[in-house]
Amino acid sequence: MNKIRQIAWTEYLNAVRSKAFLIGLIMLPVLLFGSVLIQKFAESKVDISDRRLVVVDHTGILFSALAAKAQSRNEQEIFEWTKTGKGRQLRPKFVLEPFRSTSTNGGPIDLGLSERVRKKELFAFVVIGKSAFSTEPGTGTEILYSTQTPTFTELPDWLERTLNAEIQQHRFGQAKIDPALVRKLTRDAIFRRLGLANVTQTGEVVKAKEENKLATFAVPAGAMFLLYTLVMGSAPALLNTVLEEKMQKISEVLIASVSPFQLMMGKLVGAIMTSMTLSLLYLGALFFFLWRNGLGNFVPPSLYVWFFVFQLLGLLIYGSILSAIGAACTEIKDAQNMMLPVMLLTFIPLFTWLPIMQSPTSSFSRILSLIPPATPLLMLLRIAIPPGPPWWEIALGILLTTAFMFLCVWASAKIFRMGILSQGQSASMGNLVKWILSR
Amino acid sequence: MVSKTILHDGPIAVRLTRVTKTFGQHIAVDDLSLEVPEGSVYGFIGPNGSGKTTTLRMILHIFHPDSGVIEVLGQQGTRAANDRIGYLPEERGLYKKMTVRRVLAYYAALKGMSAAEARPAVDQWLEKVGLTQWGNHKVEALSKGMAQKIQFIAAVVSRPRLLILDEPFSGLDPVNLEVLRAAILELRRQGTTIIFSTHDMMMAEQMCDFIFMIYRGRKVLDGTLESIQERYGADTIRLRADGAAEILRGMEKVQNVRDLGQCQEVRFGGDAQELLNTLSARTRVQLFEITRPSLHDIFVRIAGADSVEQTHE
Repeated sequence: MNKIRQIAWTEYLNAVRSKAFLIGLIMLPVLLFGSVLIQKFAESKVDISDRRLVVVDHTGILFSALAAKAQSRNEQEIFEWTKTGKGRQLRPKFVLEPFRSTSTNGGPIDLGLSERVRKKELFAFVVIGKSAFSTEPGTGTEILYSTQTPTFTELPDWLERTLNAEIQQHRFGQAKIDPALVRKLTRDAIFRRLGLANVTQTGEVVKAKEENKLATFAVPAGAMFLLYTLVMGSAPALLNTVLEEKMQKISEVLIASVSPFQLMMGKLVGAIMTSMTLSLLYLGALFFFLWRNGLGNFVPPSLYVWFFVFQLLGLLIYGSILSAIGAACTEIKDAQNMMLPVMLLTFIPLFTWLPIMQSPTSSFSRILSLIPPATPLLMLLRIAIPPGPPWWEIALGILLTTAFMFLCVWASAKIFRMGILSQGQSASMGNLVKWILSR
Repeated sequence: MVSKTILHDGPIAVRLTRVTKTFGQHIAVDDLSLEVPEGSVYGFIGPNGSGKTTTLRMILHIFHPDSGVIEVLGQQGTRAANDRIGYLPEERGLYKKMTVRRVLAYYAALKGMSAAEARPAVDQWLEKVGLTQWGNHKVEALSKGMAQKIQFIAAVVSRPRLLILDEPFSGLDPVNLEVLRAAILELRRQGTTIIFSTHDMMMAEQMCDFIFMIYRGRKVLDGTLESIQERYGADTIRLRADGAAEILRGMEKVQNVRDLGQCQEVRFGGDAQELLNTLSARTRVQLFEITRPSLHDIFVRIAGADSVEQTHE
């Protein structure tokens, strides 16, 4: 035990004193906040050059209304508004131009306008058919928008929304129905999403609280992905260190002093300590942030505990398997090939977490979260979705995962024992099975 | 070829009894019995792939024998004695990113030494090998010779009762070689049992109390240098004469001519006086000495050109 502690402590110090640890520690928040900042920065770098649009209005009515709406938008909606008034322009202006037949030189209308778009004189053109006001089903598809930049969707979206609103107004007018009355009658009812009412121990009824999107979506998803990042950020490092030590012949020196099992467990415990240090720092910072901002109730304290439990199980499972692979191989390339099936196992939760979020109590969710390689991530996800799975499912999940973890550590220790001093070719899958079954 | 177990009177540090180890179809060590007396220097020699390293690894319980019994420092079949064994492997293994002091303290701790005990022992050894000023440098900053000395310290810092050195002198310059040789002999004087494998026959002759040769997994020599040389008889003649190499090659009963530059060494199957007479009649003889065969000669006689590279060494 003392030797396992010595190895673990040395591995831990080597890891946390390395530049890689500092970079890894900083990278996660940098990526997280960096992506937000980049998004903000990208938003400020939107191309706000005018989008010129020719409107071919065969109804003869809609252009003026559309032009008025565009002008209103260009004056009000595309600017940042501050306390002092209009700020900088955030979105491009839509500059509308009525179609004049002379501009097509007598050819088909869309051909001439398409040419102008290609020459960059126009951004797009829209053709509004004569039957745009028709109320008969199947005859109202007469608005045709053409551009060579279909990825810019703001303009067609605005056009569709604005033209439909104008067309509906016109239809109400023709039917002698007051549009104001229509707006009143079709107003949406207020829809609120609540949790469940509760009774305290003193018999006091606690009304259901408004659903919090952070608590119901971001917390489960964030917990699962943070766990994935921490487990899969630490476990593969074990493969590298074991393989590196084997290649540098350090393993032989160590094996002369400790048993292969002690060596593997020492390394595993060291990797767990390193990963736990990271999670303590991240979760500690999160807890502090939420507490300072009065948001502490968004993440129940029990979730922090479950996080550490599943992190430990995940690291023991994947860490032991990957260290055994490191011991069985003699080249990084072989180790990467052998690592692939293990990585595929870790992808199961990533491919299935969305349907589980939608329906955490379905048979699919329950069964999948009880399959050991996926349990650490998926059970944590289910626990984080209120009200969480029943206690016996959590207990069964932990029991099965613990049993699987012992199986992994046992099999890995056998592979490690045989592989750590093997030279020449990396072991084949057949060798691994033989080593596991050996006395 | 000889395969005989020498029975020693005093306490035994390592005892192998009918040990066999195979790797797949290959027999690496075949029915090997060996006794290493406490406080002795035991040299393991043999061609590459003959089973030396496998034997050393079995003594350390890195490998388990397929059959037979291994007793080390009174412990049979367990790793219990490993804390009292120092090991210098053939290929050196040090953590490049750790400082010299940290890596030595770590290896000492794995042998059960406390930090308080290890610190002065590390400093003492660093001073002994002239590397005190490198103690706080990273291992990656050391030269090959320095790294080899550090690896040696890693093997001896925990004051082992049994020291196993696999090719301790390979790649060392004469100065560093002398430093290590002196350190090994000092440990021996202090009572440490030393087993070392080497390809340097001269070094084995000079340092070892006993020599053991393994060839194709089987023991072919085991005993003191004198007893081994005695067994191989006094058929070796060292001579210096003008054009001797040419003359000797054409002579009957001359089995092997080894040109050493300044003189020749031959194995002669007949009467030495007859050879001297023949040579004197044909050339001027400056030196003619009947001697015992060198370890090198014995090695070559056994392994010869047949020393094929084997696996698992």
